[in-house]
Amino acid sequence: MTAVIEFKDFSFIYEGEKEAAVKHISFSVEKGDILLIAGISGSGKSTILRAMNGLIPHMYNGVYEGEVLIEGKSVLDTPMNELSRSIGFVFQNPENQIFAFSVERDVAFGLENQGFSSEEIRERVAWATGMLGISDLRKMAPFELSDGQKQRTAIAGVLALKPNILILDEPTSLLDPLTAKETLALISDLNKELGLTCIIVEHRLELAAPIANKMLVISKGEVRNFGRLKDVIVDPVIYLSGISIPPLIELQKALGIDDVRLTIDSFIREIVHR
Amino acid sequence: MIEYKNVTFRHKSGTVALKEINLKIGEGELLAIVGTNGAGKTTLIRHLNGLLKPSSGNVYVFGIDTKKATVSTLSKRVGMVFQNSDHQLFSNTVEEEITFGLKNFGYDYVKAKERAETMMRFFGLTALKDRAPLTLSGGEKKRVCMAAVLAWEPEVLVLDEPTVGQDFINKKKLYQAIVETNAAGRTVIIVTHDVEFIWPLQPRILVMSSGRIVRDGRASDIFVDEGLLRSANLIMPQLAEISNRIGMAPAALDINQLLEVKDNWLRI
Amino acid sequence: MIEGFIFRRGGSVIQRRDPRVKLLLAAFLIVISLISTNSYGVVLTLIFILSVSIIARVIKRMTKLTLFTIPFAIFIFIINYVVGLGVLASGIIAVRFINIVIASSTFFITTSPDELEYVMRWLKLPRDFIFAFVTAVRFVPVLMLDFYSIADAQKSRGLQVDVRNPLKWARNLIPILIPLMVNSFMRSEQLAEAMEARGYGSVKVPTSMYKLRLNLGDYIMTGLTLFICSGMMYFLVTL
Repeated sequence: MTAVIEFKDFSFIYEGEKEAAVKHISFSVEKGDILLIAGISGSGKSTILRAMNGLIPHMYNGVYEGEVLIEGKSVLDTPMNELSRSIGFVFQNPENQIFAFSVERDVAFGLENQGFSSEEIRERVAWATGMLGISDLRKMAPFELSDGQKQRTAIAGVLALKPNILILDEPTSLLDPLTAKETLALISDLNKELGLTCIIVEHRLELAAPIANKMLVISKGEVRNFGRLKDVIVDPVIYLSGISIPPLIELQKALGIDDVRLTIDSFIREIVHR
Repeated sequence: MIEYKNVTFRHKSGTVALKEINLKIGEGELLAIVGTNGAGKTTLIRHLNGLLKPSSGNVYVFGIDTKKATVSTLSKRVGMVFQNSDHQLFSNTVEEEITFGLKNFGYDYVKAKERAETMMRFFGLTALKDRAPLTLSGGEKKRVCMAAVLAWEPEVLVLDEPTVGQDFINKKKLYQAIVETNAAGRTVIIVTHDVEFIWPLQPRILVMSSGRIVRDGRASDIFVDEGLLRSANLIMPQLAEISNRIGMAPAALDINQLLEVKDNWLRI
Repeated sequence: MIEGFIFRRGGSVIQRRDPRVKLLLAAFLIVISLISTNSYGVVLTLIFILSVSIIARVIKRMTKLTLFTIPFAIFIFIINYVVGLGVLASGIIAVRFINIVIASSTFFITTSPDELEYVMRWLKLPRDFIFAFVTAVRFVPVLMLDFYSIADAQKSRGLQVDVRNPLKWARNLIPILIPLMVNSFMRSEQLAEAMEARGYGSVKVPTSMYKLRLNLGDYIMTGLTLFICSGMMYFLVTL
């Protein structure tokens, strides 16, 4: 397996700040992984995400130490527009990432910026809206969409650039639970169908844990644990990092089960007798 | 104490946001309002302090017809904390932010300062007293907003999506504040999607859909009704679902209740 | 006021036209409303512009806009009357004012912001300017919602906004304006990040999903516009 994202002893201090936002971050993500990043607000999550897609150092200045490699290339030497092709970034609030007056024009936004031909743009917009199940909404205006549809539009706009890596910063925090669950299921589908490597920051572990395979716990700018999700999610360090554990996991820990089941379905099937 | 009588609310554009709502909320109740976005939850609570007035029907708060009272007189008794903290923070310091409402409601300087101090102690904000609220973390901002409203001791506390974007530690603090406020005899009304958060509180639940109240009942009944939850875009709380699947009724409120009877259901 | 300038999707003969044709039509209407200077002329022009609105099926919003401009027109009438113009002359000026306002909004009422963007690109305006304009229009409703939510939050904390004393009124706006500014600033920062992440500025001249293309209906409409509007202009000048 080859690492598509690699952090090598990365530290960063924002310009004008005294404290480092993150310190000595090292971890790597392989192709096809879904990495769940967990940490409270202000723990350094956003800094790690920005360092992945190049907003750090290309848009934010500061003291940059160590190295961040995306598909083997250092983020430091790769211009933003090249990074934006290989890494898609979906932000928390879909409202603030929809620029156009119709779904299809917004999905086309990145493609137009990158200079694709009209035919290619139309083809890719059709593909991306189809993948997200929003083909019917193509002519709709942003204010006519529900929150879930807005978030799908935002994801489609990023997916249209056919990135190899998709970063999602709390993509469901403004959605209701069922819509959040559907959105995460969609991300899991994209991961399976396209082999897309995904990075998700999410507070609601009960929804996000079942779709991820790796987990990174971060607190006060440092990595507390990183590895296979099933191993990390039962590590007591999680409490100290301020992350809440779903009752299903708590219950299995209390029962002394090492190989925790991440969904209620598998828990009932394998652990409960009927 | 609070009564909605045949309340219908129509927006200027003509869309009907509330349809013939009849509702009574008693003193000291703990009430959660759930439903999809656009079901009318926000419109419903905006009637509590007169920010919105019914197009037809009446809302009575402590016997006062909200059509005949100002937002300010009603807000003194019905405190409302909005979802987005950044929509209300504007002061130079946390202390000023908390005393803002107190000054508006005519508290004198000494009394206002005293109330602010009590609130800051309660919400663990004393050390941040002189910080600018806008520079605080999301969780701290939320606590400042709560403190700023509870400061004037409203008899009813209304919280609009209090847990959105909040981490575990802060949710715990919010939970504690809700329990204590309710235990002090105040009515607490929470609009939320966060079923895991309210499940252990076991509040009375209103389920809203297309401007109507479609169910009004106890959490222990409503949160185990899968069809109803799906219609409100909700997911069953994990403890309720596990209890359901292993045939345990009433559903467990914490994992200890499940562990106590583990011999009945554990296979390994 | 904003009502008049906000586009709603519609399928009328005029709304379906290429935005450049609509721009041409609006330009003619503006010229006509500028050159009509006598009493028959201004009334005829008003009827003409409103007829175009009827054909475009936007008469409802156009009427709202017209009603909105009436107080301003009355104000203009009074000023002109006070400075010594006669009732008729002042009246003509007031109606002309209404004509100019509604003629220039014909374009905005019948053209979607999306089409407007294409027209601006066709006119070869700078990319950043177009983007700034489109973003501003796109976020007007969003910022309005922010404003209402902020005002509600502060009113719920006892803030009085309906006070008579203008000094006090201005001071009481501070708790609303500060959060509004802070929120707009945070929004623009997030927008900037999202733009960067989607490669804004990667190529000098961005490509387009669609290209403006004139169809038969557009040519007919252009011909009609030229014919009827020139006729109208000739009639107005000789009247």
